[in-house]
Amino acid sequence: MRITVTRTGGFAGIPRRAELDTAGRPDASHLELLARTTLAEGAPTRPMGVPDGFQYGIDVDGSTVYCADPRLSDVQRELITTVLKEGA
Amino acid sequence: MDDSRARNRPSPAASAAQPTAQSQAAQFPGAQTRRHTAQHGVFCTIVPPHVLDKLSRADDPALHEPARRTLERDALQRTRRRITTVRGVRTTAVAGQKPSDRPKRTIYDAANREELPGEKVRDEGDEAGQDASVNRAYAGLGATFDLYLKVYGRRSIDDNGLPLDATVHYGQEYGNAFWDGERMVFGDGDGEVFRDFTLPLDVIGHELTHGVTQYTANLEYFGQSGALNESVSDVFGVLIKQYALGQTAEQADWLIGAELLTDRVTGEALRSMKAPGTAYDDDVLGKDPQPATMDDYVETSSDNGGVHINSGIPNHAFYLAATALGGQAWERAGQLWYDVLTGGELTTDADFADFARLSVAAAVARYGAGEEQQALLKAWTRVGVEPA
Repeated sequence: MRITVTRTGGFAGIPRRAELDTAGRPDASHLELLARTTLAEGAPTRPMGVPDGFQYGIDVDGSTVYCADPRLSDVQRELITTVLKEGA
Repeated sequence: MDDSRARNRPSPAASAAQPTAQSQAAQFPGAQTRRHTAQHGVFCTIVPPHVLDKLSRADDPALHEPARRTLERDALQRTRRRITTVRGVRTTAVAGQKPSDRPKRTIYDAANREELPGEKVRDEGDEAGQDASVNRAYAGLGATFDLYLKVYGRRSIDDNGLPLDATVHYGQEYGNAFWDGERMVFGDGDGEVFRDFTLPLDVIGHELTHGVTQYTANLEYFGQSGALNESVSDVFGVLIKQYALGQTAEQADWLIGAELLTDRVTGEALRSMKAPGTAYDDDVLGKDPQPATMDDYVETSSDNGGVHINSGIPNHAFYLAATALGGQAWERAGQLWYDVLTGGELTTDADFADFARLSVAAAVARYGAGEEQQALLKAWTRVGVEPA
């Protein structure tokens, strides 16, 4: 499964993008569960968010959902943090 | 990237596609995805909205009661959030009683979790403690309160003594600060690129000014009105710093977030009002994308239509007007920006030309036809905005 996180907005307004392939990873099934849950609970359009808040687009094998700080679920937060940290 | 540089203003089609604050609030995903606490029994973890909806219609009360409670609570929060976006909800002054000339600050510590507001660590009047972030936030809110009160006669964010709440140490290595509609929230920075977001006074002033805008012109956070919302926060952010340091327009650096970047970043700040587009040029961060004039206006769908990018245009107009007038920028230039923001004529969907027109009108109203009016006309013309 290929997961891409695009972060936009923020005080600095500097976008960040990272992609991660779950294939061959020891935590693949956990990440895939996070990704499927995120797809199920995310919004299909970009939320307005809050002034200077980060906004996220999460693409999972071609399907994209959106969410924004500070109102992330624990699942969304874990997925976003992992992909931005460990993805390329 | 989906960014593209356009030589002119956004097309009418692009403007027509701008969502309103209300429609956006209705789409807010957080309303469906927020965590549910233990009081909801089986729903203490994240339950997708469609599942909740189905459960709420089940015959078994053990299933439908907690689901209905959760849905009702979400609906309540959604409504409250929409009201907060449209017009502030909290007022504090008692009828017939003048709001206080003293700030009422409370600082919370999120202890590196993404939970708001966190634990209360410093109340108004408490002695400074060991935590530098807490102390900087407390002092920064005080400096911001001071400028608004002493220069513009404004009593806090709502001009009615609203308490000033801030949360520090939000998240882990969190490289951001934001205004959540009720409070300022500051991360510690990732340490690689960004340092602690409580370090620059202009960042604290910027966040608090988002609150002032919310309670006054309430500029929609999208497209040109969103870039104006950002610019107003930058303008009063730097004015708070200049006021605290006693700097004139000539002495000021006109930078946003100068103390924020770590030594390894090639750049002097996040934004420059004096020379938008020149604040940084770095391997990791890229190059400062801000335009100084309408010729380089950036049309993009990201960052709510480039609110942190195109704010460079009204930012530069303010810089040009303030330096043309000289002296202390919070006095005349700042006063006119404040007049526009709070005058009641700036609409929530105002564009740059609307703001320009109202600023020139404010100059004539306050100072008569003269050098202030001329300085503003010249500044807006230099950045390519014709006052509408």
